[in-house]
Amino acid sequence: MISILRPLAIRALTLFGVLIAVLVLLVISLGATGFSDRLLEAQVNEEVRGFRQSLSQTVKNPEELEKAVNEREVELNSFYGLDDPWWKRLPPQVFRVLTLDLGEARSLRTAEGSNKVSDIVLERLPYTVLLLTTSSIITAVVGLAVGVRMATRVGSRLDRFVAYFAAVSFAVPAWWLGILFILIFAFRLDILPAGGMYSNPPPEGGIDRWLDLSKHAILPILTLVPVSVGPYIYSVRTMTVTIAQEDHVQLARAKGLPESKITSRHILRVAAPPIVTGLVLGLAGSLSGSILTETVFNWRGMGRLYYDAVSGTPDEGVIVALTFIFTLIYVVARFILDILYVMLDPRVRY
Amino acid sequence: MAADALVPDKNLTIPDDEDAGDGGAFSIRGALRMLVASGTGKAAIALFLLMIALSFYVLATYPLRFGAERWSNPTVWADNPKTAPPFWMTWLGKDGIEHQSFSQSDPDTVSQRGAAEVREFTYPLTIDSNATPTFLSMTLTGISFNGRAPVVVAILNRPDGGAIRLTNLAVAGPREGETAPFRRFYDTAERQLLTQQETAAKSIAQWYSEHYPGVAAPTDIGAVLNHALFSSPAENGSGKLTTLRGDYSITVQVLVADPKDEVAPIKIVSGGNVFGWMGTDSLGRDLWEGLLYGFPVALLIATLASIMSTLIGAALGIFSGYAGGATDSIIQRLCDIITNVPLLPLLIFLVFVLGSHLYLIILVLVAFSWPGLTILVRSMVLQIRSGQLVEAAKALGASRSRIMIRHVFPQVAPYIVAQMIFFAPGAILAEASLSFIGLGDPSIPTWGQMLQQGFQTGALYIGYWWWVIPPGVLIVFTAIAFMLLALAMEPIVDPRLRRRR
Repeated sequence: MISILRPLAIRALTLFGVLIAVLVLLVISLGATGFSDRLLEAQVNEEVRGFRQSLSQTVKNPEELEKAVNEREVELNSFYGLDDPWWKRLPPQVFRVLTLDLGEARSLRTAEGSNKVSDIVLERLPYTVLLLTTSSIITAVVGLAVGVRMATRVGSRLDRFVAYFAAVSFAVPAWWLGILFILIFAFRLDILPAGGMYSNPPPEGGIDRWLDLSKHAILPILTLVPVSVGPYIYSVRTMTVTIAQEDHVQLARAKGLPESKITSRHILRVAAPPIVTGLVLGLAGSLSGSILTETVFNWRGMGRLYYDAVSGTPDEGVIVALTFIFTLIYVVARFILDILYVMLDPRVRY
Repeated sequence: MAADALVPDKNLTIPDDEDAGDGGAFSIRGALRMLVASGTGKAAIALFLLMIALSFYVLATYPLRFGAERWSNPTVWADNPKTAPPFWMTWLGKDGIEHQSFSQSDPDTVSQRGAAEVREFTYPLTIDSNATPTFLSMTLTGISFNGRAPVVVAILNRPDGGAIRLTNLAVAGPREGETAPFRRFYDTAERQLLTQQETAAKSIAQWYSEHYPGVAAPTDIGAVLNHALFSSPAENGSGKLTTLRGDYSITVQVLVADPKDEVAPIKIVSGGNVFGWMGTDSLGRDLWEGLLYGFPVALLIATLASIMSTLIGAALGIFSGYAGGATDSIIQRLCDIITNVPLLPLLIFLVFVLGSHLYLIILVLVAFSWPGLTILVRSMVLQIRSGQLVEAAKALGASRSRIMIRHVFPQVAPYIVAQMIFFAPGAILAEASLSFIGLGDPSIPTWGQMLQQGFQTGALYIGYWWWVIPPGVLIVFTAIAFMLLALAMEPIVDPRLRRRR
């Protein structure tokens, strides 16, 4: 047991280091570039202007008005911490997100109208998870089935085709594939919705609602799968081919074991760790890719949320919080991968 | 090193010492010969020659500040049709009408009308399909006069004999304190959309009522008027308008009071419904021009990003592997952290905060892409370090830096070159992603930015495929070109790479 814990503990430390490093990077890039100062000053100016306007209704004496406005400005400056340099002001704010206290959004809201970033994230996260897990499961099933089959006929036409397919799918941005699919399936053929998650108005009732959601999910999933499945099939094939040539497989064959048993017990069992690695890495990778894919399909998950926070009138608080959340999810995914790896590959335990 | 044990075993095959002498003398000429010999290599070289030729064409013919001066400058594109598909759509059965632009500086005829002189400019226009011009525009680039202000009149002569007055433009007279010659429209050209003038609406309505009695005269300004100018009522009496085919002409008459008055070239544009090789976007920009401009930019991004990240990655890898100890640990922990970071969210964040400049985008890309190579190079160096060649060099008293540069580097160099090419597609795709999210450098148009504009303006949902398909195809094309080159290089830089999977 200790032998499992030691490598995992080291790994956990590294991944915690990643979180801290990202936060430090956020603080420095927001502070040292003067970005945070500019934002807060704009915020203060806006509030001062509003204050002056509302006050000018009641206070007619210009000197008195000026004095009150100035006092308000000083007050606001200290409230937002503009009196302090960024290296004093920012760290407590940014490290607050470590405790998952994510602050409030300026204009983004949940369906119920809450402006707490943690509420918004909790509302959006399930949709992203739905999209990513479904496409990963499809990728895994197709990748394993095709990859193992291909390994038995190395050099065949199918084999070469998949090799090229893997290369091409690496070069195709998923979001552009999504654009193509919208043009073909939504615009030209008009058989699938172009975007969004529910029809307008959304159907009532559990099953209808689910069906509607799945109909809207078809195109995004169809976009995410080809991009990840090509490289995955190829890596499964390569792993399987390498292991199929090893001595213990020859021995199993010599013993007269049926081919299906050789594949499952003697090839796939050995190839499992890297195959799982590939899958979880792909999943973590498509977390990033989902930002653009969700944007293209107006799929209101975490990715679209990030896009909404960056484009239009940017909301820095949300951007910082989301960057952290993305890192956190990514790091947790990597850690799950490590646990799986230790469980699947006895050679790591030492 | 337990953490490293968790990283999937790359199973690197390292050149042994026997080959090391050769490795130093890795010949570029021999490599090129082998590259040309392989099919993949031939394809890659052909693609690259094409991309480089297009890039040189762009560098030679485009203005230096293409983005700011031309691409993002709406006045340049004012006379182009908006969201017009490519012209070759007419070959596929679309009723097309060519985009035509005529400019004349010398009048065709000069006549006297009372005391005034009439200078007449004539522009021919033929319509031989069902499509009508999407607009007519007249641009005056300058008029100077000495006494009374000139009057400019544009008339559309139809094949059915109608002479439709499109506009009556009275040039503003002398202002107080201004001395002759009075110059107008020299600083900013006067552009009139002839197909959206009240005058045109009135005179076409009058022509219809005189010539085609019983047909309701079109009065709407806009698309209806535009159609009416080039149509006649159908002969079956349904009252529907059909395109009137035949030879039209546009006559521009300039009435000048003084023969010394000057009229700079007058431009008449008849808007097509198709445009150029790749059509136009919603601002009328010629997409073909923007697509071509993308080539040098993509090559620049790919080259700079991959060279920089390879240099940093390889240098740190060799250093880390050869130095060992605390230096090694620090570099490796740094790599661990950077390779475990979700790339795209951080790229977006950093570019968002630092600003959308191309050089910053490239630097941020480099900052996150070097560690992969460092880890690989280090593991190679660790094996080379314990080899006989390095031991012999040490025994001869070579310094550490000399061993690193002369004996370690040549052995890993071919591999580094292959990796460098492999970085390039990633850089191109990352820039495209950033541009698509709206963080592209506005002064340097790229394919990703064209896609972003197409997506933002909703071109996708109206089916403007010529706006969103070609930029994506070129991104994929460029990325594949680099990958083909990398694949073709693999067996050349190290024959054993074939076995390494």
